Amino acid sequence: MKLLDKLQILADSAKYDVSCSSSGSSRSNRPGGVGNASLPGICHSWSDDGRCISLLKILFTNACIYDCKYCINRSSNDIRRASFTPDELCELTIQFYRRNYIEGLFLSSAVIRSPDYTMELMIKALKKLRHEYRFNGYIHLKSIPGTDMRLIHEAGLLADRMSINIELPSTAGLKLLAPQKDPTSILEPMSFVRERIKESRELVLYKKPQSFVPAGQTTQLIVGATQDSDLKILNLTEHLYRRYQLKRVYYSAYVPVNDDQNLPSLNTSPPLLREHRIYQADWLLRFYGFRADELLDEGHPSFDTHLDPKCDWALRHLDQFPVEINKAPMEMLLRVPGIGYRMAARIIRARRVGPLTFEDLKRMRVVLKRARYFITCNGRYSGGVDLDAVLLYPLLSDKANKKVMAGQISMFG
Amino acid sequence: MIYVTDGSFEGILTAVFEAFRLKENPDHITLGGDFQLSMDPELREISTDTGKSDRVWRGIQNKISEESLETLYRAYLSEHPRVGLYIYRYIKLGLKLGCKVEGYLQNPDVQAILDLNNRVAAESHLFLGLLRFKKLRSGIFYASYEPDNNITQLITDHFARRLAGQAWIIHDKKRDIFALYNGEEVIFTSGLSDLEHLACEEEYEELWKRYFATIAIESRKNPKLQRSFMPYRYWKNLVEKQP
Repeated sequence: MKLLDKLQILADSAKYDVSCSSSGSSRSNRPGGVGNASLPGICHSWSDDGRCISLLKILFTNACIYDCKYCINRSSNDIRRASFTPDELCELTIQFYRRNYIEGLFLSSAVIRSPDYTMELMIKALKKLRHEYRFNGYIHLKSIPGTDMRLIHEAGLLADRMSINIELPSTAGLKLLAPQKDPTSILEPMSFVRERIKESRELVLYKKPQSFVPAGQTTQLIVGATQDSDLKILNLTEHLYRRYQLKRVYYSAYVPVNDDQNLPSLNTSPPLLREHRIYQADWLLRFYGFRADELLDEGHPSFDTHLDPKCDWALRHLDQFPVEINKAPMEMLLRVPGIGYRMAARIIRARRVGPLTFEDLKRMRVVLKRARYFITCNGRYSGGVDLDAVLLYPLLSDKANKKVMAGQISMFG
Repeated sequence: MIYVTDGSFEGILTAVFEAFRLKENPDHITLGGDFQLSMDPELREISTDTGKSDRVWRGIQNKISEESLETLYRAYLSEHPRVGLYIYRYIKLGLKLGCKVEGYLQNPDVQAILDLNNRVAAESHLFLGLLRFKKLRSGIFYASYEPDNNITQLITDHFARRLAGQAWIIHDKKRDIFALYNGEEVIFTSGLSDLEHLACEEEYEELWKRYFATIAIESRKNPKLQRSFMPYRYWKNLVEKQP
């Protein structure tokens, strides 16, 4: 098979994985080597669906022994199958890298023969890439559920980031759609990697560190393949951040690729807006000091499609508003709809020099479209509407048919 | 009063020095001789003097901050026609406020400097990703591009570290600037010809184009989002966007 065809088949099979981020590692180049890693990550292109392309995201092989119902590569699907040789993969990565097409490699694989066998193949290829081709760029490796921890350890010494996809947010969903996988085969390697990362950081104090997954681990959840609610997903997310110290949880609106009675039908379009809302909430958890139970609860288990989660929260907590721009602490500024992290930081810096008026905020490029209803500047309110949820709702909701920007904000991956 | 400089950063700092020395408040500081004349122009020719510009340079470092100096320099690289004046006013304010000036966004001149700084920083970060090298027959890797801002010197260090083992050339076609790297150091020059036609290979370009086309998910197509990250004007130098 021609390399061009292999590339197409193995990229096509990998494209439903969301993560592309190349951040979190500062691996440096060595004499005679190629490449380094950039801490904030770098996007190299954006594909026609608006997603950032940072890594060569590819499968080692798409020949799978598993038959997961949601997956394009399930064994019962009649699709073209291909596998790379380690040299083909290394050469492709290095040549793309030298031309600055990519930041590195994101290697995943279907399960060929057994999880251990597959993982060994990938490790062999990565060893070649790191040691023979002397590649020091970014490597994101996907672990195969059910792999021996010894292999996970070996892989972690080669990769900058590792991930293992949970995919289905509940045990029930997993049983129904991926009966050959079980939750422990996913969570066990996750806690193993967390422990090894912790250890490798502690070692730094005493001797030259052995770098182990310096950019941390991530996972991915599919949204809309099962009946799981936003609440369920967000609680799981919070748990993953706290318990497993994941760097990121990615969400992927389910794109129907297979026909099955337990799945949404093939003509269902991916729930992009729902995915978008969950991403927004994810940011609120990670950077804005929100807890999952503040955003959703049993009586309110899904996000309002017309309101972003922060507006939604604010309308249910109007007693905490308006917020005085010249006095409010960072934590409270961050809770104002329309004020993001950067804006809050700018406001705090600027008000040290002198008090801020509404006009000043405009000049500072603070987007006041939503924020104006929730703030005062030196006691003056410029919202023009009473602080009342019924009045504010239509002013804050997204226009019904506005195309939602569902992309990941790649710089902060 | 209009100060006419040669358009170099040192030239602008010399103008700032002169404005302080003469206790003048210039209405405009030009970047070179090409500028719009007002009705009643009083011109002052500024001849660049590194002794003077160095004193301003150190003044910024000592009395404002290193960060401000970097911000001003990046803003300068935007080549915005009014950047000279913004720099002068920022320095004037900075000498009063110290490093607090950096956060003084209520002030339109400070805001303008920070806007330009952000614009330049954002574009140079973007091109760490969007720059595309082609292998020439000689084995040298060549990248040409047309950035909005004069960012070549901001991005070369990155490529010298990353692609240390290969000789490369980065060519700003808009400004006739060439950065040449021989595996040891970067040299800037101009006046070379376009080297595009010396490119020899197609194989990896074909592979990359195929990868690019394959990785997009059909049912999520979103050209508007794509362009918001990767503006259309940059496409002509991107392999993957060529037919």
